[in-house]
Amino acid sequence: MKNLLTVLILFIASLNAVAQDILLEAESFDNPGGWVVDPQFVEQMGSPYLNAHGMGKPVKNASTSVEFKKSGTYHIWVRTMNWVPGEWEAPGRFQLKVGETVLDTVLGTRSGWGWQYAGEAKINKKQATHIELQDLTGFNGRCDAIYFSTKKDAPPSSTKKLAAWRQEITAQPNAPEEVKTYDLVVVGGGLAGCAAAIAGAEQGLKVALIHDRPVLGGNASEEIRVHTLGIYGNFERILKKIDTEHYPNGSADAKLDQEKRDKNVKSYDNIDLFLNWRAYDALSEENSVKYVDARQTFTGERKRFTAPYFVDSTGDGWIGFWAGAEFSYGRESVDTYGEHWEEHGELWSPKEADNAVMGSSVLWGSKDTDSPQSFPEVPWAMPVSKDYSEVNGEWQWEFSRNDLSQIDDAEEIRDHMLRAIYGSFSSAKKDEVNENRKLEWVSYLVGKRESRRLVGDHIFTFNNAKEGTEFPDGVVIETRAVDVHYQTVLEDENNPDFISEALFYRAPQYYIPYRSLYSKNIKNLFMAGRNFSCSHAGLGGPRVMLTTGQMGAAVGYAASLCKKYEVMPREIYTGYLEEYLNLIEDQKYEKIPTSKK
Amino acid sequence: MRRIALGFLLFVTHFCDAQFGSPIAFSDSQEKTVLEASPEFFILDWKPNTSLHISETPLEIITDSVGAQKVNLFRDNTEAPILYSSNIITPVCADGDCKFMHITLYWTLLGDYAGFDRSVKEPLTKHDHDEFLFSDYWKLHDLLKDDNSILKRRAIDELVTKPKPSKIEGVDALSGATVKEVKESVVSGALYSCYVAWHLVHGKIKEQIKAHTVQQQDEAMLVQMLNNDHTNYQMYALENLDQNQYKVNFSRVSELFKSGIPLVRSFIIKNLASSFSQSPTTMQPFWDALPYIDINTRSLLLQHIDFASDATVTHISTQLSVLTKNQLLKYLEHLASKKVISTEVLKNLEHFSASNKEKNAYLVTEFLEDNS
Repeated sequence: MKNLLTVLILFIASLNAVAQDILLEAESFDNPGGWVVDPQFVEQMGSPYLNAHGMGKPVKNASTSVEFKKSGTYHIWVRTMNWVPGEWEAPGRFQLKVGETVLDTVLGTRSGWGWQYAGEAKINKKQATHIELQDLTGFNGRCDAIYFSTKKDAPPSSTKKLAAWRQEITAQPNAPEEVKTYDLVVVGGGLAGCAAAIAGAEQGLKVALIHDRPVLGGNASEEIRVHTLGIYGNFERILKKIDTEHYPNGSADAKLDQEKRDKNVKSYDNIDLFLNWRAYDALSEENSVKYVDARQTFTGERKRFTAPYFVDSTGDGWIGFWAGAEFSYGRESVDTYGEHWEEHGELWSPKEADNAVMGSSVLWGSKDTDSPQSFPEVPWAMPVSKDYSEVNGEWQWEFSRNDLSQIDDAEEIRDHMLRAIYGSFSSAKKDEVNENRKLEWVSYLVGKRESRRLVGDHIFTFNNAKEGTEFPDGVVIETRAVDVHYQTVLEDENNPDFISEALFYRAPQYYIPYRSLYSKNIKNLFMAGRNFSCSHAGLGGPRVMLTTGQMGAAVGYAASLCKKYEVMPREIYTGYLEEYLNLIEDQKYEKIPTSKK
Repeated sequence: MRRIALGFLLFVTHFCDAQFGSPIAFSDSQEKTVLEASPEFFILDWKPNTSLHISETPLEIITDSVGAQKVNLFRDNTEAPILYSSNIITPVCADGDCKFMHITLYWTLLGDYAGFDRSVKEPLTKHDHDEFLFSDYWKLHDLLKDDNSILKRRAIDELVTKPKPSKIEGVDALSGATVKEVKESVVSGALYSCYVAWHLVHGKIKEQIKAHTVQQQDEAMLVQMLNNDHTNYQMYALENLDQNQYKVNFSRVSELFKSGIPLVRSFIIKNLASSFSQSPTTMQPFWDALPYIDINTRSLLLQHIDFASDATVTHISTQLSVLTKNQLLKYLEHLASKKVISTEVLKNLEHFSASNKEKNAYLVTEFLEDNS
């Protein structure tokens, strides 16, 4: 990994001296130890980072070694953040070991992402210098990068300046050097993305599936552990390859389905799977996506993906956003689509549009053991959890607030949930019945329900569900109740702000038209997943994963026809609908090989 | 079949009473044509010396085996409608064992649950025939208050099913959210009674009661609702008062902005959005409430910062601790748009930025650096 370290030599003519700077990206450490690579917030804070997610027990040291080209005394900064500043010790504290010396400075104590000065160290270029991150708390200390410089000039902290500085110091060319070309590029490996890739591959497309995690499934993965809900519709055969059983949310049973899902997707020779690759840009020309750029979350390696068709199944609608696709966010006013429901009034559909959306969950659980288990005091968590006391979390553990964007403020949302969890568990531990209880698992990934919704030729609304509108292109079918969440604190300020409630509208069978699954203004862009074309209330029913999986399969098949006729997604509706519907009908059952007929 | 047979037997004994309305059918309450005390379990305020008298409505509730039971309306001495009520007798059957539940239910003018009176002669019982304890009645009251209870969307059969054990974690599997929610919300050993009571209270009668009220709605009723502590009354009034009525009742509206629940506050501020630019002085009470209101409403308030007076903007600079990160950024963005930032504001910003206990101090530090 040392070859990935960036070394830049700056010649400072005016001083007639030579300074050497080294930027060490934490996610590229040779051995992350017990730290996890967290790439969820790259768009906001600039980079994947190492996160000491030890649930209260310090994690094993992360380590790497660096070869310096010049001996001397180096000033060292660590890019980090105290994620809960206040009248307590920072929860995520750690120290840096350089060579044999542990620097005195306790890190993870500055507010907001930025560079914290760690101290100085003497470096000998003759031997590789061993670097270690030593976690002190197990409570999500975070380290993005370490910067060594023979000059005492701190790198810029503001995200904008930092990006330019990083590009300069790493001397990266603007474009990735490696270009990969496919028939279909699917970005996002949740249920929708997996189904899109499988459907496309089964029809002979050469597919790239880009996913920023090591495992597939998104919210259904063993990392988030939400069970798949909804019906299979037209795509039972495909969806059964990637779905879950109906275990309680947060259950470790998610691991069994994980194996099944990964194995099944990997069984397709014509799906190139890019796990731990996160898309970071897309470009459109003449209203058509030309390429998507992605970066390996550990190594920083970059690739460019080109294709005639793209599927945005990122959940947050990133590809559409970068490519300039129309999108919406928040709740429409009740009159926009006439989505009034008398029984729940403002909670269901507001008189005036606003930024409120359904929140994100962080699932967690504990278990009883045979012996007493300790859990640290967490004063920094108590202002959030207050007197709430609990030993596990379900879907109601959800956070949304109208000043927080589920995209731009996702790290704050995740951190708020971590405070809720640790504080509630700490309170529960004070009850002697929980003396032997141990925190078993806490996700560090935000499980989102709602974010950007890309706009298609049709916007699916609550009324389409309520009335069971039958569309000629109704390729996705659902019977699940329309289920919109709100934070219970809106009704009573004494309630914890991290608990939600669901409002259910029992609808008849309803249909999502194919026209809600491609962008209105970016011609070659499909979307599948929670970022499909719908209103806030319209999302309430179909946001669950078997439904989004259906969307994925539907666009995978549509993409194959697009390639066959060299047309854009819209033209499948206007010119090839019958063939498309027949294709969906025909794929329901596995074909019997000719040799066995 | 046993259930029907027993139900029929009991039905016969009550048949005549039920046909002629609840005051006769319900032994404890047959005298209650006048209400001079609050129902025993009640969510609304009951003012001293209140006396309500009963009047008939065309509304009725039909229960299994017993049939139609009258829903009456209690009015005050000015004939203003106050409360709907019905004396209910209904069979509750579990595992083939049926018994009658006697309860007097009350609804608000909007059809929401208002409370209940228990029957002294016929107390509620659990599955094992033990009588409800007083604490059980309270739990029932809490359950009935929850109009979005899990009992709403589940068939009774679903509620008694336990989740499958985990394949991986065995007995340590996380319990299902549903099972936990049911357990927490219903009276232990009385799931069926709770289920029946909840569906009586929150059944079709809700909408019928509201429709009946709407027919009689006038400004006085809306103003009374606005001045009531009951949130749904406040919301209904706020939704139905016109612009002029908002002006007339502005004092109460601005008071509710401070004291109401977040949902009420948000509704008020969205409804008065144009007033911030049109009559900024009038809106001063709203700015004064800034530190006391919930985060969501405060965000909505700060959307109007460009119309706040200089004094308000200065005052907010002493309240930065209550602002969230994005609210603070909004405030700083407003300051940045001004040609000059006053010395007093700058002093307050510097003070905040120097604090090592403020999570967002760094934002102010960066702002001061960028604008120095």
